[in-house]
Amino acid sequence: MTGSMSSIISLTIIEKGGSVRKRTISMIAKSYPDGAEKRLIRFIEPADVRGTSMLVVDNKSTADEMWIYLPALKKTRRIVSSEKGKSFMSSEFSNADMSSPALSDFNNNHLKNSGENNLWIIESTPVDADKAEEYGYSRKISYISSVNWQVKKIEYYNFDNQLFKIMEVKGIQPSENGKYIIRDMIASNIITGRSSKILLDKITTGINIDDSQFSLQNLER
Amino acid sequence: MTNFIIKYRWLIISICLLLGAGFAALIPSARTDPEIRNYVPSTMKSRIETDKIENVFGVQDMVVILFSDSSIITSHNLKQIKEIDRGISKISGISGRISPFTIKNIKGEEGMMVADPLIRKIPTDSTSRRELMESVATNRFARDVVFSYDFSSASITATTGNKRAESVTLNQIDSVINSNPGKSKILKGGLPYIRRYIMKDVQKDAVIIVPVALLIMLLILKLTLGDWRSMFMPFTVVVLSTAISMGLIPLFGWKMSILSLLVPIILVAVANNYGIYLVARHQEIGVKWNGSSREMITRLTGSLNMPILFSGLTTIAGILGLLTHSIIPARQVGILAATGVTMALIMSLLFIPALIYIRGSKPMKSEKKQVDTKLFDRFLSWLSGLIVRSPGKILIVSVFVTIIISMGMIFLRIDTNQENYFPRKHPIRSASNIINSKFGGSQTISVMISGDIKNPGVMQAIDNLTLKLEKQDGAGKVFSISQVVREMSKSIYNSNEAEYDHIPATRDAIAQLFELYNMSGDQNDFNQLMNLDNTKAHILIRLSRPENQVINQMKELIKKEAVNFPADLTIGGYAIIMSDFAESIIKGQASSLLFAVLTVFILLSIIFKSLRGGLTGTIPLAVSIFILFGFMGITGIALDAATALLSSIMIGVGVDFTIQYMWCFNSELRSGLTHDEATVKAMRTIGRSIIINAMSVMAGFSALMFSGFTSIRFFGYLVIISIGSCLIGAIVIIPAFLIKFKPGFIQKDLSNKKRRKYEKDTNLITITTAAFSGSSATS
Repeated sequence: MTGSMSSIISLTIIEKGGSVRKRTISMIAKSYPDGAEKRLIRFIEPADVRGTSMLVVDNKSTADEMWIYLPALKKTRRIVSSEKGKSFMSSEFSNADMSSPALSDFNNNHLKNSGENNLWIIESTPVDADKAEEYGYSRKISYISSVNWQVKKIEYYNFDNQLFKIMEVKGIQPSENGKYIIRDMIASNIITGRSSKILLDKITTGINIDDSQFSLQNLER
Repeated sequence: MTNFIIKYRWLIISICLLLGAGFAALIPSARTDPEIRNYVPSTMKSRIETDKIENVFGVQDMVVILFSDSSIITSHNLKQIKEIDRGISKISGISGRISPFTIKNIKGEEGMMVADPLIRKIPTDSTSRRELMESVATNRFARDVVFSYDFSSASITATTGNKRAESVTLNQIDSVINSNPGKSKILKGGLPYIRRYIMKDVQKDAVIIVPVALLIMLLILKLTLGDWRSMFMPFTVVVLSTAISMGLIPLFGWKMSILSLLVPIILVAVANNYGIYLVARHQEIGVKWNGSSREMITRLTGSLNMPILFSGLTTIAGILGLLTHSIIPARQVGILAATGVTMALIMSLLFIPALIYIRGSKPMKSEKKQVDTKLFDRFLSWLSGLIVRSPGKILIVSVFVTIIISMGMIFLRIDTNQENYFPRKHPIRSASNIINSKFGGSQTISVMISGDIKNPGVMQAIDNLTLKLEKQDGAGKVFSISQVVREMSKSIYNSNEAEYDHIPATRDAIAQLFELYNMSGDQNDFNQLMNLDNTKAHILIRLSRPENQVINQMKELIKKEAVNFPADLTIGGYAIIMSDFAESIIKGQASSLLFAVLTVFILLSIIFKSLRGGLTGTIPLAVSIFILFGFMGITGIALDAATALLSSIMIGVGVDFTIQYMWCFNSELRSGLTHDEATVKAMRTIGRSIIINAMSVMAGFSALMFSGFTSIRFFGYLVIISIGSCLIGAIVIIPAFLIKFKPGFIQKDLSNKKRRKYEKDTNLITITTAAFSGSSATS
């Protein structure tokens, strides 16, 4: 994501047994020249969490910051987690999947057959054990179209070098400045059999969002 | 009968051998079922309810890996635990696990909520070790769950799913443990390991106990019959009948259980008697025999068939009492043992005479050695003299002793805890002791709450029930979703706010707390406590004292709470099944006793043509039952799956003694002797053989003392008590009773033709056994 945008996002979590949990949120996001990104999320569904709001500040050089406002409790709380590998809203996506990766955190190299069939196959390994622990995997393999540079699929390997998660990008749409927004993606956990799907709807880009929108006062409004 | 045996002798022998060999070939395919919950019928309420809970929250059978050291919080120990935990997490047969590395710390600090791992990094210095200890001490999901309060032990608890065979999963766990050696001592416990030990020990027991029992039987046969050829016949009958009954297990699609071990022992102890009768009689007749083989068989079968049949039928009737048990393996033991005794009876009446016929009518060289029995004779004389002189005193003393011992029944307890199958020093007992004393126990009760779990009324009710259960005696650890909600409220509110450590007042507030947790934790962290739809919750109670009394108290409390509970409650779990199992033991004990006593009473009434006769004959059985249960209460031996079978078997075996004595006494009376004279004579003849028979039965059962299972060993000890009391009942109490009260039925002239024959036959047995100078056995 880049610039500013708003969207209605639906997150569907499908359990191995077939039971489905669905959350709908509205989101506005703005990126800043220093690489930081701010997001304001408000829950629409399910009804009992409607009004719950989150403010996320994704810093490039310092730890991310996250606040949540719980209207039924009338409390705002800061959520701290240094684990990028931690689940995003209890789904198969991690917090790291929701933001742009820091290239300096990984050693990247082409794998055999990379470049064939218009596909780059790139292996990314965290630079050290601490980073690996933070991201929650030992390596990932990205399949990127060499034609339009769009990510098609990412495979994640756990610390026993076992493939445990596949994230597939199903739909991408152009954004401003020649960039793109992932509109539809699915993450499947091979081990638990659970999958999660994120679908962005009503995407509006290039809108003017005031910085005051990303304040704690606005969060509690 | 003679013609039939002679005409079809080869067919009889072939069928018997083929049947034995055929069924023996099936035995190796028998599989062992160590799952005690399968002892109760699947239609039983506790099993149905437990299945319902397990369908939502998975099987709650826990494997517990214990790590013990003087201090478990060292970097070396923690690294080892981490490696083993990681190895176990990869095993596909494991559905969930709790370890020091899966536990989360939910904290609220300076306006922040943190749900981070309990151990983010393994502490390497004393400061970080102390911090970890402090963190554990204040975390209810860690203290006494993954670390013991004294930090001498840590645990990894894993629940086994049904993706893989349990044995494969356990082997994989063992392999992970073995490939990560360390300084700490590792013990493995929990029901899956208990089941594995049971499977191993049942097989080990079968390999030890059955040969020992056969050896004891050979010794008895050598003592009673002398020559090897004579020994071979009853020995073959026992081996064949045992093979047939054990072969029925896989044929019926049943599985071996700890109780199946009793079947071959029952047969070794009981089923050889019929063969001994015939062979002993053959030896007696054969020494000076100069007739044809046909005449020999006619005389042999004619003289012994009826008493053997009566003896066999009463034994079968007693054993069949087990069919009224609701414990499935108990019913199976009843069928198997009754089939075995029936086969032994049929083979003794057909197979042995056929073998004798083939051997021919040449005179036998009896190799029996005359045993000096003066001491025995003197004892019998003394005993009969005592009975004749003071029958009243004997009866008073007997009643007094019976009452005193019977009072022990007050202390009789029921034990269905599988941990107690093993001796105290067994590794599984050591593991269980640590689990129960330091980690809240591994046996569980589950309460499933069905309703709107986020409803504050329901959540508050769950919390109230949780608090009450935590206070119950024997509750090791109680886990519920309300505790999680309270922990989360602690991270949201300050300790001076009213909502701190409380269940929120609105549904939305509860829902938003969970949402908050989802932001930094994972909803799957609670998948053992609440389903994802929030329509079902689970209170898991780990029992530090998995005793029936504790379980029943818990069950009663939950039932009481269920009355006004704002949602539906389902009670289940292994411990509840065990509680039903205990109830089954009591009901089964009562029904099998009633059945056996009633059947024996009817048989005795028919034999003595008198209801009073039937009633008198059941006196020793009643005395023995009271003494057995009283003795168990006094010595602390519990009524369990194995010992519950004892009374039926005791009745089946012990009733013979009474029948024989009363029959012999009756025949002596009718031969013109007075009551006193008849007592002295009966004691000298049938009394001797009853004692020898009782001794041989006790010797056969004594093989059970070599069992690896405590309750099977106790069974072995208790057989001596129960058969001993049946013996005393038959040769002390009954004679005293008959002298003192001189009941009319015992003086009746048994004019029935068959009875005359039976009388004649019994006399023959008496003569036969007496001829052995105290070295024969009869039943």
